[in-house]
Amino acid sequence: MSILINKNTKVLVLGITGKSGRLQTEIMKRYGTNIVAGVTPGKGGKEVEGVPVYDFVKEAVNNHEIDVAISFVPPPYAKDSCIEVTENSIKFLVLTTEQIPEHDVVQIIKYAENKGARILGPGSAGLISPGKCKLGVHPPNMYKEGHIGVVSKSGALSYEVGKTLTENGIGQSTVVAIGGGPFWGLTQLNIIKLFQEDDDTKMIVLLGEIGGTMEEETAKFIKKEVDKPVISLIVGSSAPKGKSLGHAGAIIEGDLGTAKSKINALREAGAYIAKNHMDIVEQIRKIEGK
Amino acid sequence: MKLYEFQGKEIFKKYGIPVQSGFLIHAKDNGKDLTPPLVLKSQVLVGGRGKAGGIKIWDGSTDASKIINDLFALTIQGEKVKAILALEKVDILREIYLSITFNRGKSTPVLIVGTSGGMDIEESARLNKEKIYFVEIDPFLGILEYQIRFVAKKLNIDNYLEFKNIIRAVYKIFKEYDATLVEINPLAITPGGFVAIDAKVNLDDQSRFRHEELFNKLREEKEFIQDKKEAHASKPKEDTITYVSLSGDIGVISDGAGTGLFTLDLINEYGGKVANFCEMGGITNSEVMLKSLKMVASDQSVKSILVVLIGGFNRMDDMAEGILKFKKELNKDIPIFIRMCGTKEEIGKELMKKANIPVYDSLNIAVKKAVKKAMEN
Repeated sequence: MSILINKNTKVLVLGITGKSGRLQTEIMKRYGTNIVAGVTPGKGGKEVEGVPVYDFVKEAVNNHEIDVAISFVPPPYAKDSCIEVTENSIKFLVLTTEQIPEHDVVQIIKYAENKGARILGPGSAGLISPGKCKLGVHPPNMYKEGHIGVVSKSGALSYEVGKTLTENGIGQSTVVAIGGGPFWGLTQLNIIKLFQEDDDTKMIVLLGEIGGTMEEETAKFIKKEVDKPVISLIVGSSAPKGKSLGHAGAIIEGDLGTAKSKINALREAGAYIAKNHMDIVEQIRKIEGK
Repeated sequence: MKLYEFQGKEIFKKYGIPVQSGFLIHAKDNGKDLTPPLVLKSQVLVGGRGKAGGIKIWDGSTDASKIINDLFALTIQGEKVKAILALEKVDILREIYLSITFNRGKSTPVLIVGTSGGMDIEESARLNKEKIYFVEIDPFLGILEYQIRFVAKKLNIDNYLEFKNIIRAVYKIFKEYDATLVEINPLAITPGGFVAIDAKVNLDDQSRFRHEELFNKLREEKEFIQDKKEAHASKPKEDTITYVSLSGDIGVISDGAGTGLFTLDLINEYGGKVANFCEMGGITNSEVMLKSLKMVASDQSVKSILVVLIGGFNRMDDMAEGILKFKKELNKDIPIFIRMCGTKEEIGKELMKKANIPVYDSLNIAVKKAVKKAMEN
């Protein structure tokens, strides 16, 4: 098993004719992801990598069975496109787009919530269940099938840790990047809950970073509801205060959002705090050896 | 984009929120005819203006130009005072706090009111000195009547109708201007009704594409009173680069914020010191790579450059192209350590190999090498 996606998942790609959409469709298809249709307004009737392109989500849904969607749509059109997807009863959407106006983001998230749909993102690199399905931009060669569930805010950090695990012979059940914030559809807590329920996931790796209070809230949940081992790496201890280093959410304001506060909360919840990526490997081996 | 108080108040006026009458005094103006009493307020974008002595009352008993010159001589948290807003003085019976912003944890707009406004809302909230109420707003429904009634009751507001109109106006500004914050602190209750004593409006730069004209107008107003350097900093960004200057000797470039933060931690762990940090954003190209390298290398204290690339969206063939261009243009000898992997890495690595530039696959090794080199030099 895996979470959110599996080898039968049928995928719709939004913004499939753009530069990123096209390249990532090619890479996902090569990985074995079952991409059945694409949408770009005005490009209906074309094909990308053998995938039929439609003008509207409705047309794609009428012609194909679709489980999930992934969006590469640029910021000005992101809201429209996300609502069109949700409106057509697609229950899971990976939103890779960054820099969407905040007023649009809160509407996208609220609309999905009202319709009972899940949104991963915005600014998400997506997720990969090695050997089964890749819905996003995770570099395929950095992952292998296994039993570690990884959740990260940052896409790049989830590649980094995936690569380290794989190079050390440790496979993953699913690796999920939720996005750099400051707004999120699915949170660390939501993903960890899915990992807790997933039979195939034996241990959970939580990659957090400075800013906001999400890790603290996740820690409360872990303490109450999670009995699988959780190993956490929190990055940004050495970052200067009051400055955003890329992710809008990764900023220390006053006492809020420091690495120390997150580490303390997670440690208190029973998670192991890794010093760096190599330490994650060592800890997994230690637990497996028991 | 943060707006000055005088800009925020212009917007308030347009939406019917009462403000004091007044006018702007520029450093370049000399000898305006002033009639006391006046409140003279430094126009800066940083907080803590009142505590720093940036607000003065002129009652006519002293020379106004002395007070004005003193204010223009002020630097508040590194920001020079370049304009003063002169306002009529009003009698304040009571002050309250009012703002609409986003609750980031819950991804929803939120109305925040406090029973006493003033300079230290954050501090008094922390110390529980006053009561603060949060009301979440549905982004589709907007603010509802019962929600306004709720806060009006909590704040003991007598003039409900006037209060309601102000809250509705604040929400309207929040929506129509794509603001991330509209704050009135304090909102004064005076014998003549409500008056917004201060105005803080922050706009979302990401919404620029639908407010091109407005953003240009507001920026021109800002540039008129700012230093060239500050004005430059407030220019819209043409790329996704985040640049932060620090005090060490290693220049760091990353193509992801998370790995960037992680790299800074690793450098710290290995005893290195970062001079500056450049995050290119997840979707980038060879020009952004070139620009980032130039920015990092232009700092004289940089003794080694560490480039950490792990491409998902980002293509390594594009990155290699940017690095090669930089190598060609660079006229000083700064050692560069590159970690490259991810999308199109075969082509990227091949390009680097042809140009005899070593590339590392392991982040640890690249970090160690860069730290060691900086220490040697």
